[in-house]
Amino acid sequence: MQSEKQSGSLTRQILQSISEASLVPFLAILTAVIVGGIVILFVGGDPILAYRGLLQGSFGSTKALSETAIWATPYIFAGLAVALAFKGGLFNIGAEGQLAVGAVVSALIGYALPEWLGFDVPAIIHLPLVVVFGVIMGGVWAGIVGALKAYTGGHEVINTIMMNYIALNTTSFLLNGVMKDRSPTNVIARTPLIADSARIPPIFEGLRVHWGFVLALLTAFFIWWLLTKTTLGFQIRTVGLNPDAAKYAGINVKRIVILTMALSGMLAGLAGVIEVSGLNYRHELGFSIGYGYDAIAIALLGKSHPLGVVLAAILFAAMRNGATRMQFLTQMPVDLISMLQAFILLFVAADAIIRYIYRIKSKGERVVLTRGWGG
Amino acid sequence: MKKLYVFMALLVVASMALSACGGGAPTAEDCSKEDVFCVGLVTDVGKVNDKSFNQSAWEGVQQAQAEGNADVVQFIETADAKDYAKNIAQFGDAGYDVIVTVGFGLGEATNAAAATYPNVRFIGVDQFNAETVAGVSGLNFPEDNAGFLVGALAAAMSESHKIGAVCGTDVVPPVWRFGEGYKAGAAYADGMNGTTTEVFVVYHSDVGFDKTFTDPEWGATTAKSMMDQGADAIFGCGGLTGNGAVSAAAQAGKYGIGVDKDQYFELTDAAPRMLSSAIKLITPGVAKLIAAAKAGTLEDGNVFGDAGYAPYHDLDSSVPDEGKKMMEELNKGLLDGSIKTNVPPVKP
Repeated sequence: MQSEKQSGSLTRQILQSISEASLVPFLAILTAVIVGGIVILFVGGDPILAYRGLLQGSFGSTKALSETAIWATPYIFAGLAVALAFKGGLFNIGAEGQLAVGAVVSALIGYALPEWLGFDVPAIIHLPLVVVFGVIMGGVWAGIVGALKAYTGGHEVINTIMMNYIALNTTSFLLNGVMKDRSPTNVIARTPLIADSARIPPIFEGLRVHWGFVLALLTAFFIWWLLTKTTLGFQIRTVGLNPDAAKYAGINVKRIVILTMALSGMLAGLAGVIEVSGLNYRHELGFSIGYGYDAIAIALLGKSHPLGVVLAAILFAAMRNGATRMQFLTQMPVDLISMLQAFILLFVAADAIIRYIYRIKSKGERVVLTRGWGG
Repeated sequence: MKKLYVFMALLVVASMALSACGGGAPTAEDCSKEDVFCVGLVTDVGKVNDKSFNQSAWEGVQQAQAEGNADVVQFIETADAKDYAKNIAQFGDAGYDVIVTVGFGLGEATNAAAATYPNVRFIGVDQFNAETVAGVSGLNFPEDNAGFLVGALAAAMSESHKIGAVCGTDVVPPVWRFGEGYKAGAAYADGMNGTTTEVFVVYHSDVGFDKTFTDPEWGATTAKSMMDQGADAIFGCGGLTGNGAVSAAAQAGKYGIGVDKDQYFELTDAAPRMLSSAIKLITPGVAKLIAAAKAGTLEDGNVFGDAGYAPYHDLDSSVPDEGKKMMEELNKGLLDGSIKTNVPPVKP
């Protein structure tokens, strides 16, 4: 990233590097929108009206903005989780499961702690406990995979997928069993509502957006600081780029692999916590499904940079949120949104297409995602 | 680059030409006007073409429009459970007069929205409220009546005097009512015909909600084990799980009985051996409530729609006349209340 030329101020350099880094994703989005518009035309829809609905539904009013922020919150946390692992050369497909265990544990602490203790816990103690336990659970869940990688060489892709199955089926077992809401009218596999003291309050009266969104932005800044300004961040990136070199440079690679996975899991766990504590106030089977997989897409689109992740998360959130308004206006299937997202990812992943269409010269730089199999 | 500009210009022109068409009939944007009667439908996580309750409810809304009881009808398909409130609000904010929410899962969101939008009538399909909520009419169905009818039919038609039912989880009250109604109907027919019928009813309660309605293999295996014990009529009640049981019965040359809607048209492989289906009349139920809402006569609280049984189709000639007559009498008796299934609304 460091330019060798000393001409131009530092801000100008930063701006330039941002605009260079975001050029391909931006053009990918633009191309996807055009291709999506053609598809809408093909199925007899009105692309202008559809996109107008998408924009109105995602940014058109304070309520729309609030709902977009709500969607963006778990996406930012989970996207950061995957991005951090990418920086360390690890492919964390397990955000889905880490998110689920984080949600389950925070819901449990949220509704059961006052019962166990026999008195109402003040929010200043209860809420931090809810967050901390959920985060730790996510960290442990991913840390296991990190340890398997470090000590046995078991590949994290396989192991995170397997841990997803364990997490989701255990969640199903608990929500249908001991953690199920026992009120007589309830037939759904879900926990009781968490106590008021375990809830993250909304920012504005009458809107659902809560302080978790602010926390997500602060966390993104923290991850950026961690990766670029600290020794640990340097070690994570070095292991990600070349573990052999890292080893000869005296870095404890095993420790860094476990730590990277655990940190990644903690972020994913936080995504689950925030959904329970800030929005749903309980956990239910079928809540927060697929966010862990969307997170991979978000990390890719954001090029694993915290700022990129935030922007990509907001984009995905806007699309998911605006889909309702789009369907309301056009009666087009909401699957169209998934298709648009797929187009964007296709163009980002196969950026040669974009570079060819718009005649952009490749600078020869590559973003390290993973070291692949057996690395 | 040049080609690209031309292409984009063409695209813009084409889309403008398309969007210029239309006009005339009232659109969603007229719903805030008092004289335009608008009905919106929010699905549970699922689609309006799911061949199940979302589709039936949407057809009910369309029927209401065809009957002149709605000027504008729109649907929103829920993609994620956290959007329930937002999707309802989409219609509420646009000034819709009636909002239909489909499925038990939307119950809480519907009740909450009723407080936010006091001028909107809410129709909650399959939403049973223990306490009446102002503005909300829960459309429920006497599934036990439908189960009762097909149970009586199965008992009357069985030559081995052994019949079975393969159901989803009994934790869901409608499923439990289907199964218990089936038992009660068989017993009632026994009383009329002086027979003794053994009834096997199995609920798939050993697995989670994600699996209980989507396990056709388990349904088929369970149906086969019932047929090994001599059962010659199988009632499948519970989504794909039940469908598997019905198909297995049809393959073995036994009678299969469908659920929710006339599955003769859906389970084409089993159709020649489909005796009937226990049906919930969701489509006419929704249409009727919308008509009542338009007339201003729809009341708060739980409303019960109708349940019944589907035609015999291919097996029409196999059902004896006295059997058909019995079924008509039972249906009439259940509708006018002279026959009762004695099945409580929820599992005690």
